[in-house]
Amino acid sequence: MSAPAEGVVRFTRRTRVEHASVMGLFLLLALTGFPQKFFPAPWAQSFVDVLGGIDRLRWLHRASGVAFALLFAVHVAGAVWPTLRRRAALSLVPEAKDFRDAAAMLRYQLGAQARPPQFDRFDYRQKFEYWGLLLGGAVMVATGFLLLLPLVASAILGGQLIPAAKVAHSNEGLMAFLVVLTWHIFNAHLSPEAFPGDTTIFTGRIERERLRHEHALEYARLVEGSAPAPLSGPPLGALVMAPLRGALLVLYLPTLGFVMVGTHLARRARAAVRPGRRRPDKPADQSERGEPPASAA
Amino acid sequence: MRSLMLVAFALAATVVAAAEDAAPAPATVQDCLACHADPDLSVTLGSGETQSLQVDAAAYARSVHGSALNCTACHPGFEAQPHPAVDTATRATFRAAFRDACKTCHLDNDRKAHDGVHYQLLAAGDTRAPLCADCHTAHAIQSPARPRARISQTCGQCHAEVVAAYRESVHGRALLDGNPDVPACTDCHRAHDIKDPRQRAWLLETPQMCGKCHGDEKLAAKYGMSDKVLQTYLADFHGMTASLHGRKRSDGTRFTALCVDCHGVHDIKRVKDPESHVIRANLVKTCQKCHQGAGTTFPAAWLSHYEPSPKKAPLVYAVKLFYLAFIPFVIGGLVLQVGLNLWRFWVHR
Repeated sequence: MSAPAEGVVRFTRRTRVEHASVMGLFLLLALTGFPQKFFPAPWAQSFVDVLGGIDRLRWLHRASGVAFALLFAVHVAGAVWPTLRRRAALSLVPEAKDFRDAAAMLRYQLGAQARPPQFDRFDYRQKFEYWGLLLGGAVMVATGFLLLLPLVASAILGGQLIPAAKVAHSNEGLMAFLVVLTWHIFNAHLSPEAFPGDTTIFTGRIERERLRHEHALEYARLVEGSAPAPLSGPPLGALVMAPLRGALLVLYLPTLGFVMVGTHLARRARAAVRPGRRRPDKPADQSERGEPPASAA
Repeated sequence: MRSLMLVAFALAATVVAAAEDAAPAPATVQDCLACHADPDLSVTLGSGETQSLQVDAAAYARSVHGSALNCTACHPGFEAQPHPAVDTATRATFRAAFRDACKTCHLDNDRKAHDGVHYQLLAAGDTRAPLCADCHTAHAIQSPARPRARISQTCGQCHAEVVAAYRESVHGRALLDGNPDVPACTDCHRAHDIKDPRQRAWLLETPQMCGKCHGDEKLAAKYGMSDKVLQTYLADFHGMTASLHGRKRSDGTRFTALCVDCHGVHDIKRVKDPESHVIRANLVKTCQKCHQGAGTTFPAAWLSHYEPSPKKAPLVYAVKLFYLAFIPFVIGGLVLQVGLNLWRFWVHR
């Protein structure tokens, strides 16, 4: 890692270990899951043979699944316990500002706003990923155990839940993989800001300049020496609301993508069809765009 | 010049004469029957058994070869007296002496038989294994599948128990009624290149085998059956496992449920038959063959070859439909934003 020992400590060792573990398990689960989902494909059979047969592949998938479930439990406990003791601020729970930030970022990228929004410790994209992983992980763990223990599951919850769990597990897994492929790989590696890769989650440290640029509000607070806003209200209520807020953000972000890009394209299409109302060329658009962001300069 | 022609003529005459000396006049069937029509004509084998040498003249005349072949076509050299020596140590050696006769004409089927389980048994020294003549008979050869019910009779000479079960099955009953659509033994097992049915590789082919008829739209419509049984099987856990089972792994272990594990092998009944293994009343018992401890709710985990629909398996259908919309929604919405981000970067580059 090229990151120097200096810089601001951002992640504890525990967080880094959790990230490395979930990364490894996610890859292992995808690698052993997809040949099962896409079993008619010739590559699936070859891959199964390479790994030593379907039985071994399934053993590996189930073992990694149980490990993932344990990691999930450890992580949730590690977030819930300190919160109940009022020692954590739940900085990954989406707030109203995150919903505004997402829209502001898209407005900025569409050229309708001069500057991108400023973020605190985690931006809305990171929160989306976190809650996508947490909620999707919950679906995968629950359906995974139903499929692992079909006799028990069918006795308690009825038989039809087994094939339903299979459909959900298979599709949710595919979606998780696609989200990681598009959103995570883009934001952490391919985006112009992160390229070729943001190493903070591995080293635990972030360069001062990068922190100032990507998490301006947190940086300002650190410079001032003030603490993050304490948890408002009872911690139990905040914990119950956290996944609901997370789910809301998970649903909100894709919707926002369709709505904002859609309306923008529709406006441009209308402008092109009725040139009288607005000039077909871009000057009017460009003037609204304002200054390019400081980062691009 | 003239003398040369004379020499050539004399030479030719000699050759013809020599040929006539070596082979006596070709024997007709009647020539052979002069001796072999006698029911008492027999030979005592080294093992003490008596081997009849009689040929049923009428049966041979009616056989597919009767009007086409002389005896010596299959028994070359036997026009000579005395006949060529035959190893009469046991019935097996006696039979083996004639087993190469068929491949003179039927080489393709002989080759296939060499790949078959009967030949493997023979090669391993099992004298019970049938030769061509044991299934087709030696002299009374008829078209083996006319009528088709003959096939099961032929196999039943040795596989009596299997054929008895088959005759009570949905396929067997229909075959005996002259139904041309149902499989006889050879439709699944083949006639000559019969594979050992305990082999994993062969077992793993059985779904495709059943699917040949049970995936046929016309047959399905004719008998009011589903033509989706194979694809619904493959879409489920058992079918997926069967598809992914490496073909080179060891035989013998149970690995996943194939068609025959639930429906039965030779005793397959109509699914609504009260004796069927897969009728609802019997299904738990069938599941329990592999899933020890399965309760009454367990069979509902299997959708009975139905595709999920609002009527059959509404929960599964709903989940399927949900993801059909949700995955494009999430991924589409995110990809739009990624694209926008890149576009913005491109514009201000």
